[in-house]
Amino acid sequence: MDDRLRETLSAMMDDEADELSVRRLLSHEGQDDVRAQWQRWQGIHDLMHRGHSPAEGVDVSVAVREALDGRIRSQVPAVSLSCEAPRRWQWPAVAMVAVALLVGFGAGAGWDAGEVSPGALASAPVTETSDAESAGNVSAGERAPVQEVALQGLDEEQWEHMSRYLLEHAQHNSVGAGQGSVGYARLVSANGGY
Amino acid sequence: MNKARYFGPSLTNLSLRWLLTLTLAMVLPASAFAEEKSAAYWLEQLGPALNMTSYRGVFVYARGSSVHSMQIAHRFHNGIVEERLVLQDGGSGEIVRRDMNVVCVLPEQGKVRLDQVIPSGPFAEAFASQLIPVSRWYSAELKGEDRIAGYDVITVALTAKDRHRYSHRLWLEKSTGLLVKSHVRAAGGEVLEHFQFTSLEITDDIPDGELEIRTEGREVSRTLGDAGQRLGSQDGLSKASRMHGWHLGWRPEGFEPAAAPMSGNGQTVAFSDGLAAFSVFVESAGRVSMPTGATRIGATTIYMHQLQSGNQAVLVTVVGEIPPAAARQVAESVQVNEAFISGASEP
Repeated sequence: MDDRLRETLSAMMDDEADELSVRRLLSHEGQDDVRAQWQRWQGIHDLMHRGHSPAEGVDVSVAVREALDGRIRSQVPAVSLSCEAPRRWQWPAVAMVAVALLVGFGAGAGWDAGEVSPGALASAPVTETSDAESAGNVSAGERAPVQEVALQGLDEEQWEHMSRYLLEHAQHNSVGAGQGSVGYARLVSANGGY
Repeated sequence: MNKARYFGPSLTNLSLRWLLTLTLAMVLPASAFAEEKSAAYWLEQLGPALNMTSYRGVFVYARGSSVHSMQIAHRFHNGIVEERLVLQDGGSGEIVRRDMNVVCVLPEQGKVRLDQVIPSGPFAEAFASQLIPVSRWYSAELKGEDRIAGYDVITVALTAKDRHRYSHRLWLEKSTGLLVKSHVRAAGGEVLEHFQFTSLEITDDIPDGELEIRTEGREVSRTLGDAGQRLGSQDGLSKASRMHGWHLGWRPEGFEPAAAPMSGNGQTVAFSDGLAAFSVFVESAGRVSMPTGATRIGATTIYMHQLQSGNQAVLVTVVGEIPPAAARQVAESVQVNEAFISGASEP
């Protein structure tokens, strides 16, 4: 069985194989190999989807051949195929979800911390940001830099004092600024942050 | 015949086909969407959506090096907001809110007494603050769409127009406008704070049981709105009376007094520009001596400043999601008068 036949077989599973290719597959001399391959794949798909493998030992080549012949003769799809297709060949949808998950996580769709959207580099806000930055630098040049207080340097009493402020502010956020859960998250973060 | 060899390349072919289908599926709606709603429309949805959408899920919140996750159930039913948040890591604890009543069961690990902290502020004014036109202080731009926690979202970038505030990026669920992810960014683009749902179900089917306290522990409850009554009347909510004995000489343009949750000593005012907020605390510096300067935790700046009024030391602290330089400028602009000093000496 060559690559082209395997491609046909996989396309059949997606219900995308063209008729000529399917005929070529069915006329292949190693029908046992084709059947074994199909059953193996179908088994895997069914396991993924339903947790059992009903394809064991099933030979669909006759039904497919009949379907092809029937369609050519009468243009009416064979019952055997039209009934089977939706149930047995629905797995690509599940696989698509799996691929979507992989793509999502692989590309970091939900977890990228500092991404820049396509087009953002060329758009106006970046210019405005740099304006704001340069304005900030001018201001910083005029004034002394803000003195930093290291959290580690605070004693317990000072910590408690500051934490109370943090918590109160967090509550202002969740209630006052109407930020809902973001504010609560800040609250919990403030409470557990030491 | 080596059958294992056959499976590999064919599977790749299959995957490529799905990938193509998937890519098409993602690209087509994006181009159609561009003609639809503006960034301003989505921003208008933000405030109401946070309260009036019913949902359950788990979100993570990261700032600095700390990451927390919380489970949330939020229901809006007959005009009443009910909410239950359960801590997913660290000590066990939860926060349950029903309209104006908040009950906290938080771990005892904290050194802070939460009964001092649970808010007491009227909601009505808080919601009004959402009407502040955010677009005056931020340039809003649609950044396209994405998918978060299983929902289609649109991304809105809000770039600060001046250096007194941070830029934000919001991911809003397309059908409800619910905020499902947000970034707070410094001018350089660095992400200071990250909030995101990792699982989410937007549904009106949230049974009462999901909104009841289940954690054993010390419960702290508070009815919101006490502060307004303590002040005597709704007039007590005016800016002047909240800043009793002190005033701000400067604040970044656009930051207006938000809800007035009165703290224990009653000398706190919160300001919001509709998106970011900062709180100013003014109290007598008798008990604790605090250093002067700024500390940053994620997007939150804490600026502490001590000033001398007569023979009394006054501690001014600004806490908020604003840059350190702005926080310092606010803190240094605070002026106290005789009324504060006489008030501070009272128990």
